[in-house]
Amino acid sequence: MMDDFEKQIKDALAPKEPSPFFEARVLAAVKRQSREQRASSRMWWASAIAAVLLVISGSAWQYEKNAREEAAGKDAKARLELALKITSVKLQRISQRVEGI
Amino acid sequence: MKVALTVLLAVLPLAAQDIKMPVGLDRLAAKASEVVDVSLDGPLLQLASRFLSDKDPDEANVKKLVGGLKGVYVKSFTFEDRDQYKETDVEDLRTQLKAPGWSRIVSSRSKRNGDNSEVYLKTDAGQITGLAVIVTEPKELTIVNIIGFIRPEDIRDLGGHFGIPKIDVPGKNDKNDKPGNKNDKKEDNQ
Repeated sequence: MMDDFEKQIKDALAPKEPSPFFEARVLAAVKRQSREQRASSRMWWASAIAAVLLVISGSAWQYEKNAREEAAGKDAKARLELALKITSVKLQRISQRVEGI
Repeated sequence: MKVALTVLLAVLPLAAQDIKMPVGLDRLAAKASEVVDVSLDGPLLQLASRFLSDKDPDEANVKKLVGGLKGVYVKSFTFEDRDQYKETDVEDLRTQLKAPGWSRIVSSRSKRNGDNSEVYLKTDAGQITGLAVIVTEPKELTIVNIIGFIRPEDIRDLGGHFGIPKIDVPGKNDKNDKPGNKNDKKEDNQ
């Protein structure tokens, strides 16, 4: 009985040859994991760069839009000033003539 | 009923339409030594208004004035020589200004200088909703059309402010005078 138990332990602890292709499977698994990590890291960097580019291009677009709007606004203001100047001068002259009768 | 509705729908836009600058005026630009052509519709006026300061009293005043406007159109031609345009060039405009709602409040003619000035107002339900000015001089032609709530004296009184020169009007200091009171005053400074 004791001998059987000892034998069982001996057998269990005895060095065993790994199954065929074990090393290849482990190496493949490590490689796959490493590839996945690299892909995930690349994806993260790509997303970060895309987000930064989006923010930069959005800001640039907004800046350009504001600059365009400001230029158009200043131009419209200048034209309004000119129109009011002409109209005011003409109306003042008409007033002058009519009051001078 | 359907016919009446169709006619009404066809006529409504015409009734709402404001006066149009005569197309023929554009050819005068080639003869003119100086041309001013300002065309500001509602959105452009709003945009210009955003760049008028509330802190500067003159600009704040103009901002308030512009708030009631829907369009400002000015065409002015200055010529080197006399008689470069004909009265018929503005006849189409005068015809448009005979439409209901428009009334001529001032007509001033100077035979000595050859100047002719007319001021028209458009009223709607007792309120002024448009202003047109035609000034014909031997070497200059100016047409102004302003659409919206406006009193001519509000623009006239901008003189001396907002970079607009002030022309002395004898005995004139009348913020309260009503434009409708001047009925076709004619001047003949011969």
